[in-house]
Amino acid sequence: MKQFQRDRFLPVENDLSAGAAPSCTARKIRRSWFIWLLMTLVPATLLAQQLGTEAQREKGRQIYMKRCAQCHGEKGDGRGPAHDVFLPHPRDFTSGLFKIRTTPSGELPTDEDLHRVIRKGMPYTGMPAWPSLSDDDITNLIYFIKTFNEDFASPYAQPTPIKIPEPPAFTQESVERGRKVYEANRCYDCHGNQGRGDGKSAPTLTDEWGDPIRPADLTKRWTFRGGGTRKDIYRTFTTGMNGTPMPSYEIPENERWDLVNYVYSLSRDDPNYATMVSAVYVPDSISLAAGRDLFAGAPPALFPVVGQVIEPGREFYPGVNAIEVRAVYNASKIALLLTWHDMVADRAGSCGPGLPVPRFDPQHPDTAGRFCDAVAVQFPSEMPSGQVKPYFLFGDSRHPVDLWFADLGKNTPRLFEGKGSGNLSETDKYGLEMAASYNEGEWAVIFVRDRQVSKGLSFQPNSFVPIAFSVWDGFNHERGNKRGITSWYYLYLPPMNQPSPVAAMAKYGALTLVVELVLIVVVRTRYREEALESRGQA
Amino acid sequence: MKPLVVLILALVLLGLRFLRLSRVLWVPVWWLASYVFLVYGIEPPLPRSIILMFMGIITLSLLAYFSVDSQTLSAAWGAIVRFVTDRRYTIPLAMVVVALPAAVGWVAYRNASKAPNPPLFGRTIHPPPPIEITFKGKKINLTEADNPFRALEKSDPDKFRQHVARGRVIYFQNCVFCHGDNLNGEGLFAHGFDPLPANFADPTTIAMLQESYLFWRIAKGGPGLPEESAPWASAMPAWEKFLSEEDIWDVILFLYDYTGYRPRAKESLE
Ligand code: HEC
Ligand code: HEC
Ligand code: HEC
Repeated sequence: MKQFQRDRFLPVENDLSAGAAPSCTARKIRRSWFIWLLMTLVPATLLAQQLGTEAQREKGRQIYMKRCAQCHGEKGDGRGPAHDVFLPHPRDFTSGLFKIRTTPSGELPTDEDLHRVIRKGMPYTGMPAWPSLSDDDITNLIYFIKTFNEDFASPYAQPTPIKIPEPPAFTQESVERGRKVYEANRCYDCHGNQGRGDGKSAPTLTDEWGDPIRPADLTKRWTFRGGGTRKDIYRTFTTGMNGTPMPSYEIPENERWDLVNYVYSLSRDDPNYATMVSAVYVPDSISLAAGRDLFAGAPPALFPVVGQVIEPGREFYPGVNAIEVRAVYNASKIALLLTWHDMVADRAGSCGPGLPVPRFDPQHPDTAGRFCDAVAVQFPSEMPSGQVKPYFLFGDSRHPVDLWFADLGKNTPRLFEGKGSGNLSETDKYGLEMAASYNEGEWAVIFVRDRQVSKGLSFQPNSFVPIAFSVWDGFNHERGNKRGITSWYYLYLPPMNQPSPVAAMAKYGALTLVVELVLIVVVRTRYREEALESRGQA
Repeated sequence: MKPLVVLILALVLLGLRFLRLSRVLWVPVWWLASYVFLVYGIEPPLPRSIILMFMGIITLSLLAYFSVDSQTLSAAWGAIVRFVTDRRYTIPLAMVVVALPAAVGWVAYRNASKAPNPPLFGRTIHPPPPIEITFKGKKINLTEADNPFRALEKSDPDKFRQHVARGRVIYFQNCVFCHGDNLNGEGLFAHGFDPLPANFADPTTIAMLQESYLFWRIAKGGPGLPEESAPWASAMPAWEKFLSEEDIWDVILFLYDYTGYRPRAKESLE
């Protein structure tokens, strides 16, 4: 069996498993003794994994050929027609390497592991979820997949799954202890100090098949391949992910849950993707010098970024999967803050929205350092009166767009008018200013401009302005059409003197109270009068 | 309709029947049950505006029912008067006096601090196709054009399978990111687009369209749509930039083959 080498990807001086290694080998030895003992006592066939009957494998084969072979290949080698357009590539089942397992590092997965990964898929990779297949279908598929690697039939392949206990309470103290475990085990070497996937080894990592692989962004739990529950996180670093640099760790049991809780605390549950970003009115002056503090009161909106696979020069695996936006404005200016996570800041080389991209860009071109990171905000050049907007990819000939482009190599803003992909022209900046900084895996770009300019879009209070974004990751050789994109969303500027919600609350609350009291008084006096009357009559 | 919700509601209402509930409580319970039914009991869910309309009608008829007979009315009124005047109820009354304005105030606060919703625009999903398109300089009349390889299905099944197989390769190298592996519109990038990529497994897309219609949609993509279909927002690429005429007919064969649907025949138009 191909054994995964845990330390291969780490710098030499960084032997994180020095303390853990002996116990690990000890366990391996114990296990092989156990297997030897079993083998002498029981016939080998009983020990091997469940392989199913001929008929079950045949049923699995048929489903596989219809539903899986396009990606995983008819021979199970991952070389289906869709091999090149997904990264990570579709799994080569002949390798016997599986990422999501409850079995120790280097071992084959259990049937339940495979069942789960087929049913739920692997988020943010090409591996889709299969909710429509029946349990029997999946079982038969598993029997068939096992025929691609002979280790499944070997008596040594009996999986020895770990048991994941029920998680203890999630407490702040545990999170704080977990931070220490995170540091002690040097998770930051790959995942970065703040967990944004920007550790110093991150850009050097490759997987078992020689393809570049990025450490997970721990602040986005929804992108975890094996799920984002606390038990999933426990499993991930306890058993590691075969075929990737993600190691397995021997950590004392109580510290495990502290580490889990720390990792869990880094992310919210759901991305809560937005459809609009609300600007906030600020009475003070707006200037770049204020930096991010300017946006302290502005609510963030997270928009999904996906690959540009529509115009020639396509990007199938964009380096960035979301961009967060905040906006403020005052009587004369508007400011936007764009933040997104990027493994490294690429400041060398050139970038531009119109740079040419060959029709078939080689998968791993030797272009390191040739293209810098960049971002662009797109607005219609003229505020649309009805529903008609410019085409969402750089506009069209009848409806142009303005692109506020941040060249993060030269650290300057540029302004383009777009009349469609391949039809961009640089224009005057109309006072557009920009500041950019990169800190621990996060780019932050601030744009400031006058709300009203002589030519181009003016931003009026109480309006919804269509807005879209493009992000280029230089590390991924992104430039021109090869980029991450969003569809049209809205930037909303509320009226300048927005009535306070507290006033509305007080008004309606008081009104209800008055009505109530009047009612009670009326009822009580009427009742008293009636009572008096009836007493008088008596 | 969801049988489980209906069953539960029926049981609750039947149970109340035997409890001999006062009318004052009976009316709100019915009102609530109707609301629950409208919101949770119907599949696919009704739009909000329809629910509001129905609830308006139901409120009016329940009120009418409640007030037809003066006995129930005075019984209700008596209950209210007792609640307001009787010493025993002073504490609950005080609680109501405080809680009601607080609740109203809270809702008002929530509404006032929420930004308004962005404008919503409708779009025609299946606009009428043009009569003629120009594909790489060649004119194609859409009312006459038909899939040239469809006839092979009967005349040369092996050849037909080859075309389907080619279509499959084209699909999984070009369309899968958006339309998904199961052709259900749930591809890897689908969450980034609005409108969402078409779901071919749904009976309201390719199952009711002609192959020449699909040819137009695939060749010209989002930008080829008329204005009522929001061409500026559709992420559907114009595949004439990447694929040949044969490629497109092949991928159409694959769409029908994989989903098991049949294209709508030309005759059925007349
Ligand atoms: C559109 C392409 C695509 C299709 C179709 C597809 N897969 Fe995958 N699959 C992938 C990719 C890509 C990966 C690798 C993801 C990764 O390594 O992060 C993968 C990984 C896997 C894995 C490895 C899981 C692990 O723990 O490492 C299994 C098992 C698997 N697929 C089974 C299936 C089965 C069974 C089907 C058919 C029902 C199927 N796949 C269909 C793309 C696909
Ligand atoms: C040598 C680099 C490296 C180190 C050190 C490392 N990781 Fe990872 N980790 C990775 C890579 C690469 C991935 C992404 C694997 C993939 O996407 O297939 C990953 C993925 C993950 C994931 C997401 C799993 C999923 O289901 O997608 C978690 C959680 C995680 N690591 C936690 C940790 C913790 C906790 C530590 C420290 C105890 C740690 N990692 C140390 C490289 C590393
Ligand atoms: C970038 C995403 C994307 C890709 C890639 C893509 N599509 Fe689409 N497609 C869409 C969207 C979004 C729609 C729905 C909006 C519309 O009708 O234009 C759509 C609609 C369609 C329709 C119209 C269905 C109907 O009911 O009217 C067809 C047919 C279609 N796509 C076929 C294809 C084929 C074939 C491919 C590959 C060659 C492909 N698409 C690739 C996004 C995509």
